[in-house]
Amino acid sequence: MSIEKSPLRRKLDKLFVPLTVGPTLLWIAAIIVYPTAKLLFSSLQFRNPITNEMEFVGLRNFRRLIFAREGSEAALGVFNPSFVSITTNTVIYVGFSVSISFLLGLGIALLLDKDLKGRGWFRTAVIVPWILPYVMSGLMWRWMFQSDFGAINGALQRLGIISGNIPFLSDGALAMMALIIADVWVFTPFIIIILLAGLQNVPEQLYDAAEVDGASRWSRFWNVTYPFLKPSILVALTIRIIFDIRALDLVWVMTQGGPGKSTEVWASWLYRTAQVFNEPGSGAALGVVLLAVTFAIVASLYKIFGESPYEA
Amino acid sequence: MSTKKSPLNRLRRSLGLETQNEWPSVARERLLAYGLLAAYVLIIWFPIYYIFITSIKPSSEVLSLPITFLPQNPTAQNYVDIFTNRPFDSYTFNSMIVATTTTLICITLGTVTGYSFSRFDFMGNKSLLLSIVGARMIPPIALIVPFFQIMSNPPLIGGFTGSLYDTRITLILTYTFFNLPFAVWIMKNYFDGIPESLDEQARIDGCSRWEGFVKIILPMAKPGIAATAILAFIFSWNEFVFALVLTSSEQAQTLPIAVSLFVADDFVDWAHLAAGGMIAALPGILFGLFFQQYIVSGLTQGAVKE
Repeated sequence: MSIEKSPLRRKLDKLFVPLTVGPTLLWIAAIIVYPTAKLLFSSLQFRNPITNEMEFVGLRNFRRLIFAREGSEAALGVFNPSFVSITTNTVIYVGFSVSISFLLGLGIALLLDKDLKGRGWFRTAVIVPWILPYVMSGLMWRWMFQSDFGAINGALQRLGIISGNIPFLSDGALAMMALIIADVWVFTPFIIIILLAGLQNVPEQLYDAAEVDGASRWSRFWNVTYPFLKPSILVALTIRIIFDIRALDLVWVMTQGGPGKSTEVWASWLYRTAQVFNEPGSGAALGVVLLAVTFAIVASLYKIFGESPYEA
Repeated sequence: MSTKKSPLNRLRRSLGLETQNEWPSVARERLLAYGLLAAYVLIIWFPIYYIFITSIKPSSEVLSLPITFLPQNPTAQNYVDIFTNRPFDSYTFNSMIVATTTTLICITLGTVTGYSFSRFDFMGNKSLLLSIVGARMIPPIALIVPFFQIMSNPPLIGGFTGSLYDTRITLILTYTFFNLPFAVWIMKNYFDGIPESLDEQARIDGCSRWEGFVKIILPMAKPGIAATAILAFIFSWNEFVFALVLTSSEQAQTLPIAVSLFVADDFVDWAHLAAGGMIAALPGILFGLFFQQYIVSGLTQGAVKE
């Protein structure tokens, strides 16, 4: 039956796992572990503006980031106003974007789960916004919201809803709203895909049974659909929140954090600090904070939904 | 038919949303579903339409009032301009090279590694897989500072001197950071779905581990590989932030950067930006239209484990 194996083949077979897993591990260590270690190290350093040397400053970058300026009366205990306002902006941006796109995505996913003709065609049409380059989407929305020649002002005027042009992107609150609209436009397809996959796990008989029992639509959703959908909801929300916190593309090309600081979020602040202001230490410190926040959010979401992260 | 006397049901009955005969209500429901879906699709495609018509309007029409929602003098001039007045050929070439190479690395390593994680119980395989997937959770933007530092002053390996800043290699290295963990994860889950008895059958037939993997298992994993490849390609093609930080000239800059370059401090060249944007968006639109099911299966296999 079995053909005699040559010693070389047996040796190669023994090396199967090291040869298939080894290169990936080395690669990932080089491109992830090393930069992460360097990030932690950089966050403890500060570039001396005179000598241009990196100096070890301990946790001072973190203190400067979160608390009021050093040397002032209340260095500790009083929060840095920029940190507070940027954190607020981030919470508003992420909170509204994620909840609106989640509800919208859930609605569309439930509609697409129905036994409709042309469902595949709809699914194709719905997914596209998510696969376009975010930069192009951001610039596209900036063009749509442009005050003189933008499509939104144009359409609203033609419909007779407004008479003058609304300067969407030069008013703080409106600019934040514009960002949220763009974000919802880009990421709702992702929610739809994940939830649609989850909906396919709901056994058809359970719907029939619920219908026979005369369960209302709401109770059918809550008692039949939701339990099966929970893992997908968890995944969709986690990835969505994490992505929104760290995503820079849309914010940077639409408003650059402006007007003023009204749409500045953690991601744009980090970019500005590290690149534009050339303060790698502070940027790295903010990166470490972002890392910690991300893991905290993931952990708490899994706690809320009562699932362990990797065994769904 | 509902017999419960919940307030919601009473409300629905009083609104005439529920009839004794089941069929008309089903038909009405379908009509409503179609209507809602059609409205949604029209609304989300409008911006894409608007950027497209901007790209085929002459610059003068783009900045004239009232706004036209149907181009009056459609022209391909903007597209010609960006390839003649700007190095869009280089940008497109860079995008192609970077996205293709990243994809090849990710599917090669992702496939073999995913297979081993699926089949073998080796030392620490669970925690190794966890750390690979966990690595994907590190916010990329947090690593922007160290990546910039490393690429400007790479550690010396094999007597290499010089900077990787503003090269395509830098982008390829960086983008595997986004995509390789994801590829391992998708492929591991995909191989989990292929019965292990096939491996054993191959072994009984005299195949070595390698032959069995290449001849029997790999061909079965084609849909999974396709899903991984498409996602890795799209993610690399679309990436903006790292390209912005790690490149500075047309020798390495990709299309997303090229599009953003139309934004000057106080002036935006919308007509040409729209044309460049359409070029950058093309793979996304094509992949979306033709390979939608691969994208969906890849995402759900990578994200939702069943």
